[in-house]
Amino acid sequence: MATSTEALKRPARLTLFGGKGREILLEGIYKANPVTKQVLGICIFLAVTNRVANSLVMGAALTFVTAMSNLFISTLRNIIPRRIRMIAQVAIIATFVIIIDQFFKGFYWQMSKQLGPYVALIITNCIVMGRAEAFAMQNPPLPSFLDGFANGVGYAIILLLIGTVRELVGSGTFLGITILSDSWYMKNLIFLLAPGAFFVGGFLIWILESINSADSAGKSSKPGK
Amino acid sequence: MSNSARIIAFSIALGLICSALLAGINALTAPYRLSNEKAEEVRNILDALNVPVAPDATQADLVATFDRDVKQKSLGSLSTYAYAPSGGGTIAGYAIPFTGAGLWGPVSGVIALEPDLKTIRGVRFFKQEETPGLGGEISSDWFQKQFAGKKIISEAGAPGFSVLKPEAPAGPNSVDGITGATMTSNRVETMLTNVARDIFKETGKNGNQH
Repeated sequence: MATSTEALKRPARLTLFGGKGREILLEGIYKANPVTKQVLGICIFLAVTNRVANSLVMGAALTFVTAMSNLFISTLRNIIPRRIRMIAQVAIIATFVIIIDQFFKGFYWQMSKQLGPYVALIITNCIVMGRAEAFAMQNPPLPSFLDGFANGVGYAIILLLIGTVRELVGSGTFLGITILSDSWYMKNLIFLLAPGAFFVGGFLIWILESINSADSAGKSSKPGK
Repeated sequence: MSNSARIIAFSIALGLICSALLAGINALTAPYRLSNEKAEEVRNILDALNVPVAPDATQADLVATFDRDVKQKSLGSLSTYAYAPSGGGTIAGYAIPFTGAGLWGPVSGVIALEPDLKTIRGVRFFKQEETPGLGGEISSDWFQKQFAGKKIISEAGAPGFSVLKPEAPAGPNSVDGITGATMTSNRVETMLTNVARDIFKETGKNGNQH
């Protein structure tokens, strides 16, 4: 009921899939962000966010994999036998991971060398299988695709934010362009190592949580969530 | 259809679809991937031989330089890459690829020698799965740079090479190992000693006659 009246009130707004599109996008990107809210996919996040370029490419790769595997799994959701559904999901996710890995090896060789095993390790990223199991198995293909896309973008944005801070503080550069000159800036190497990701990630979650709690305090007069 | 039959049928169908997708992407990217891998190999051989290459050289430039200056030449049972600058006749060095067991997986590299086949021009470890930050450091510049000018033969004339504990005084046929990566260092030592022995066997006591 709530969604249909909302859709009637704002007909010009983005009303993908009966007004659910906005909600799905917002959930994945912000409200239930895979990194800051669910703390998923942290292994890859620790490893690749020391450079902005790596973060960007990893974010794009993950978005592709979650969106495509969600679409595919959702299309098959009614014919996947329940007993082997996890195996089926893994097979489908693995297929898309190999596709993106081969694509990088063919067309972006240097990037593929820098990301090392982490592209192939997308398969172990909990976000991908999490979305498949939690969303794609219960929802039609297009909303599932959108959900995968939103979660991928949510992940990518966080990687990008953290990559920017780590590269700037750790190497004094942004996308390889020197911003903080060597002559006066002492590079803080710990930001390039895994602990740096924990520091920056921790601060980011703290900031987002503070904003959120301020938000919900303002709305506390309303009943329910 | 019974439940198990349905599961089997579904698995086969899914397997076929996934394999078809993978075969497709493989066919699409294989030529690019292979040329990338070839260029990577060429780059490592040129690097080890210390061939001057422009820093912004493209893959095609690298392969062209390689084809012009480097010829395959067998040395007894060893196949080597002989380097003659600018396509001339004088050989300035030899590159010999090697592989060996690392701590976690195979390690491939190339060792380049001066024409005397005793002095090292350079070493590159280009394929390895050692612990990143520890054993993985064998691919880093500081480790690989140590090899230039070292010998693969001890002062007493026996072939061999040592990777020492860090900070130990490095001799003419040894380099500093990596702190925290003794296992990898030991395996690299074995690998290089094997190469040194193979080369010594082929060149024997009259190694200067090339």
